[in-house]
Amino acid sequence: MLFARGKKILGTAYPVIQGGMAWISEATLAAAVSEAGGLGVIAAGNAPFSFVREEIRKARKLTAKPLCVNVMLLSPYAEEVAHGLIDEDIEFIITGAGNPGKYMQAWKEAGKKVMPVVPSTALARRMEQSGADALIAEGTEAGGHIGEITTMALIPQVVDVVTIPVFAAGGIGDARGVLAAWMLGAEGVQVGTRFLLAHECQVHAHYKEKIIKAKDIDTVVTGRPTGHPVRVLKNPLAREFARREKEGCTPEELEELGAGTLCLAAQEGDTKNGSFMAGQIAGLLSQEQSCSQIIQDLYLGAEMLLAEKCRGENHG
Amino acid sequence: MLEKIKEILAEELSLDLEEIGDDSDIREDLGADSLDMVQLVMSLEDEFGLEIENEEIQSVTTVRGIVEFIEKKRG
Ligand SMILES: Cc1cc2nc3c(=O)[nH]c(=O)nc-3n(C[C@H](O)[C@H](O)[C@H](O)COP(=O)(O)O)c2cc1C
Repeated sequence: MLFARGKKILGTAYPVIQGGMAWISEATLAAAVSEAGGLGVIAAGNAPFSFVREEIRKARKLTAKPLCVNVMLLSPYAEEVAHGLIDEDIEFIITGAGNPGKYMQAWKEAGKKVMPVVPSTALARRMEQSGADALIAEGTEAGGHIGEITTMALIPQVVDVVTIPVFAAGGIGDARGVLAAWMLGAEGVQVGTRFLLAHECQVHAHYKEKIIKAKDIDTVVTGRPTGHPVRVLKNPLAREFARREKEGCTPEELEELGAGTLCLAAQEGDTKNGSFMAGQIAGLLSQEQSCSQIIQDLYLGAEMLLAEKCRGENHG
Repeated sequence: MLEKIKEILAEELSLDLEEIGDDSDIREDLGADSLDMVQLVMSLEDEFGLEIENEEIQSVTTVRGIVEFIEKKRG
């Protein structure tokens, strides 16, 4: 059985986490993922706690299975959300874009399982010391805010320095990626970009179309000078970023250019001015499916693939 | 102490010792980003047998500042 430890810690049928996606992964998507046997994640993004609470309540009406909230630590509301979650009916908290050390104790005391996203071995060790239950090691292939190291290089290095389970994220789009993550020592996967194509994902149709059309080389990284680089699909806004970065715009000007643009893409489908965050694996994805189909294709597909490979080896 | 701190900084930030002045700003002059800071905190903890919270170190800006910070922590 693949990923026994990962499934155990999640308490789900499949060791597949739907990555939190700001402005996109709300109650409908998260509940559908959890119902389908994965871990559904509501993204707090840059929203105030009242929004997050509303989404949790909605999702709870749709599923009794484990649910998670992704706390984006760069958000102006991070503190408010972090404290608010203590009394909410969710089992897991995933944190993105930073070090959640100062909230850890309160969350643990409230019985939440905490899984920080880490882009380096140092933060991985630090998080294990602070009491994290598992880690999500995310490579630079991922959509959204990213680190520097690739999934291929990051996972084995993180796995070697901690004892808690590690989930792999970044660039996983099908059963081959899941099996590769397993070979690298991961105990499960977190997938973002592919879930953008879930029927239950409420993102604007233009967003889905852009993912389906994307080729391997169609993502770029913007915002490096701000210290918070993000991976997005190429479009006029991404080109404008590149131009201004070349001209030496200040980080503040770049932050301003980026403000609100993910929302514009996700909700209005504004293909010119929106920021279409997506991972490098977008090029592989070509069809919309239900959450259940996606999760089964990822996990059961990996099991089948492994069995096939083993048979192949034996028969020379 | 100052020399030890410089050695740690040189090691963690892949710099030559000569590049690190007593009053160098760790982030502005030496280019430490937030992940480097995590790594640095872990090394300081190991070296001096201390527990350091991520938040505590945020107000420290210079190399000399680290020395003062460690001395204060040790009491
Ligand atoms: C549109 C979009 C928005 C995202 N927003 C967040 C976020 O708010 N917080 C976070 O921790 N990760 C965020 N991520 C990262 C995902 O949770 C996940 O780790 C990542 O998508 C995995 O890589 P993949 O896209 O290659 O599957 C986002 C990713 C995408 C594509």
